[in-house]
Amino acid sequence: MGLLNIFSRRKAAEQEIIDMAGNRESFTGNENESYWTIVKKQFKKNKIAVWSLRIVYVFVFIALLADFLANEKPIAAKYQGEVYFPVFKEYAVDLGISDWQKEFINVSWKDLDYEWEVWPLTPYLPKNIDFMNTSVGPFDEQDIESTRWKHWLGTDALGRDVFAGMIHGTRIALLVGIVSMGIAALIGIFFGAIAGYYGDDKLKMRISTLVIYIIGFIVALFYGFGVRSYALSDSIGESFSDFFLELLISFFIFGAIMYAFKLISKGLKKLPFLTKEVVVPADILISRLIEVVVSIPRLFLIISIAAVVAKPSIFIVMMIIGLTTWTGIARFTRAELLRVRNLEYIEAANALGYKELRIIIKHALPNALSPVLISIAFGIASAILIESTLSFIGVGVPAETITWGSLLSASRQDSTAWWLAIFPGFAIFITVTVYNLIGEGLTDAMNPKLKK
Amino acid sequence: MFKYIVKRLLIFIPTLFAISLLTFVISINAPGDPVETMLNQNVGGDGMSGEKLANEQTYIDKRHELGFDLPLFYFSFTNATFPDTLHRIPKKAHRENLQRMSYEYGEWNNVSAYYHSLRAFEDEIFTIEINDKTSSDLRKIKDAISVLYINYDSDKTESTIQNIEFDLFKNKKIKKYGAKKYYDFLNAYTHMNLYKSSTNRYIPKLVWYGLENQYHRWIWAFVQGDFGISFKDKRPVSSKVFDALKWSMILSVLSIIMAYLVAIPLGVRSAVDKGKWSEKLITTGLFLLYSLPNFWVATMLIRYLGDGNGIGWFPTFGLGSLPATAPYWDRFFETGYHLVLPLFCLTYASFAFISRQMRGGMLNVLEMDYIRTARAKGLKEKVVIWKHAFRNSLIPIITLFASIFPLAISGSFVIEIIFSIPGMGKLTLEAIFARDYPIVFTVLMFTAMLTLVGNLVADVLYAYVDPRISFSNKK
Repeated sequence: MGLLNIFSRRKAAEQEIIDMAGNRESFTGNENESYWTIVKKQFKKNKIAVWSLRIVYVFVFIALLADFLANEKPIAAKYQGEVYFPVFKEYAVDLGISDWQKEFINVSWKDLDYEWEVWPLTPYLPKNIDFMNTSVGPFDEQDIESTRWKHWLGTDALGRDVFAGMIHGTRIALLVGIVSMGIAALIGIFFGAIAGYYGDDKLKMRISTLVIYIIGFIVALFYGFGVRSYALSDSIGESFSDFFLELLISFFIFGAIMYAFKLISKGLKKLPFLTKEVVVPADILISRLIEVVVSIPRLFLIISIAAVVAKPSIFIVMMIIGLTTWTGIARFTRAELLRVRNLEYIEAANALGYKELRIIIKHALPNALSPVLISIAFGIASAILIESTLSFIGVGVPAETITWGSLLSASRQDSTAWWLAIFPGFAIFITVTVYNLIGEGLTDAMNPKLKK
Repeated sequence: MFKYIVKRLLIFIPTLFAISLLTFVISINAPGDPVETMLNQNVGGDGMSGEKLANEQTYIDKRHELGFDLPLFYFSFTNATFPDTLHRIPKKAHRENLQRMSYEYGEWNNVSAYYHSLRAFEDEIFTIEINDKTSSDLRKIKDAISVLYINYDSDKTESTIQNIEFDLFKNKKIKKYGAKKYYDFLNAYTHMNLYKSSTNRYIPKLVWYGLENQYHRWIWAFVQGDFGISFKDKRPVSSKVFDALKWSMILSVLSIIMAYLVAIPLGVRSAVDKGKWSEKLITTGLFLLYSLPNFWVATMLIRYLGDGNGIGWFPTFGLGSLPATAPYWDRFFETGYHLVLPLFCLTYASFAFISRQMRGGMLNVLEMDYIRTARAKGLKEKVVIWKHAFRNSLIPIITLFASIFPLAISGSFVIEIIFSIPGMGKLTLEAIFARDYPIVFTVLMFTAMLTLVGNLVADVLYAYVDPRISFSNKK
């Protein structure tokens, strides 16, 4: 296998590499399907998994349209001769494009005299308090004007609508799953890829480069996060978007400084001293880090951090869950890349002189993605479970945020309210089961033994 | 093998060091002043100067006794505005504010002078006799001073100082005693304001403190087996944690044993019967059990089987109330009766998990060639399954045991809280809410150690069960 030959056909070789990696781009031949097509086919054969996926779609649908399903404002209404769309209007006001008309500021939407109106499925927000109906069950007689105002799943001890809480809770549950697993996947894939691809022998550096990188890392940490610690902690108190912005600025500073030091290290390569190459045992270092994180009891850690945070917020809970659950993903990625890195197509890519970053992202990682996907599916289930546990025992999630867990915990005080125990618990159960089933389905679909 | 174990034990050290650092960072960032928490029960009230001084002295003494007047760590790497003598200042709230002020104004010496002149002024104000004429103005000034202690915003400081000046000069008597110190304070403030700059915060600074620091003191005591005393009731942490650990251990060990007893035969059965409808039923049932949130199950069990409002089969709270003088067996059965529901909640999840693993392992083994050989040579199905397949499929199950153990301990967290069982979970949660950090530390460190030991035991067992695994080859 002449390497020179490969050099001469760079483009063609690249295609070959991608095919060898079993990437999405499939052969033109009809017999050889790409890996993902096979996975999809296998997954579709699993009826239970497919149905689980459909249930997730329904949850996503509910979460996206929560404002239209449960809201104190009508979706559309004709009021004093004009037609309004208050729910849409609220989005505009939140975005800062528009302002409420005078007549709608501080009004009780329920009591306005509409000519006609279209109400959401349940005309309440989770926070709305109905003094006339506290702790009423779905089948109890409710003190309401018409069935329009019925509390379909009852109310809690304060008179808040359970159905509305369930709908808006869906949004929080799904968000917790997605955001925390997104964070976990980023960290996990990053560390896993480095540990797996470089192993203990491949990451070679000059001593000068290594020293420069270590100094650069400390400096970048100092200017990116150390100096800005007050800006960051102040913004947590403000809002999530402020915090996110500050965090982005911090990461940008961090990256810029690291890049500057990279340029310095390149310049230093011309110098004659400190040229000896050392091997950085990336795998040992990262495996040790994973071991440390894994050996900390997760629930204990999350509860201690959540209790320490000055201003509890659901986003902080998501971040903590993400920051503590990346180890599973990192382990899978590492194991897959350790396997892949010695395969011929990676060697070929190396021989072609591609940059390592490109090899890792474009050639090695796509192959490692399948176990990561499985791990994410299970991870979402456990993240939702952790969040509902936290709100059930009342740690970390602010009291005014209504989640499935907090609804369920309300049933402990209110011993007659069976509806507070059944509905939220069932919702948690279904969501967790469905994500677990999808994880199972993916595992089966990707198991090479089943592939014919 | 021995070499391997020693090597693993050595790896514990950096891991535990990292965990101890993490718990330490959590605790120093925790809101609330631990010294105040500890003093709260016996010292209170303010007003007269003598009482205030006495309170402050008790605070300082207690703080010294607990070692909180030491620097935090062996060294500090911060920006140049970070106050290097900050740990000497009593009151956590003041410290946090001064650190922030130093950051905002850029020069710690000036901020420190400002703080000390403010304290001198406050002391002076407290010596002024309170009578009908002075009392309301004095109160206003004192309130304003306490605002200054915890405020770093320059606009608010400005207006508060103006208020103080107004109240101070309104009343002749206060003016006579307080004016001098007030002018000192004002000078310090103007000086600090004049030299306000933000360049210092971009200059890194490394300070070496040496061994006399809070972390060293704590970890050294911890290594020697002294876990400190609880801030809340001043009992030694070790006795509180061991009391709690006892119940958590009983719960976890019992639930794991029960889970294994049911799970292994069930897992084997469902693997052998693969494809039959009974197997499908079992697998689905196990899967559903596995996904059931245990706090929901606990809530439902309390509601429908508990003695409060359900049919009253089982008690749902605590461990029973028989006095310690009651006969042993009576107490034993009373406690056992109370543990039925919590144990069920703890068991079903791990039982479902284990049997699913057992089934998976068994299915893998049953596909192996040597099983076919065993069948082909005419062995009885029973022998094939239990003697050939079962032993090999046990391997993953054994490793599970060690990793399930720490899981079971933290898994009992919520269950203990719901059923009010005085175990680790309840202890930790109460400690977190009461800001009783020595307990949180100790629990975190202990569970981490249990996890590490569990993993090690798993690996050793693994090698023991499967002779093919040898650690000596593994460089």
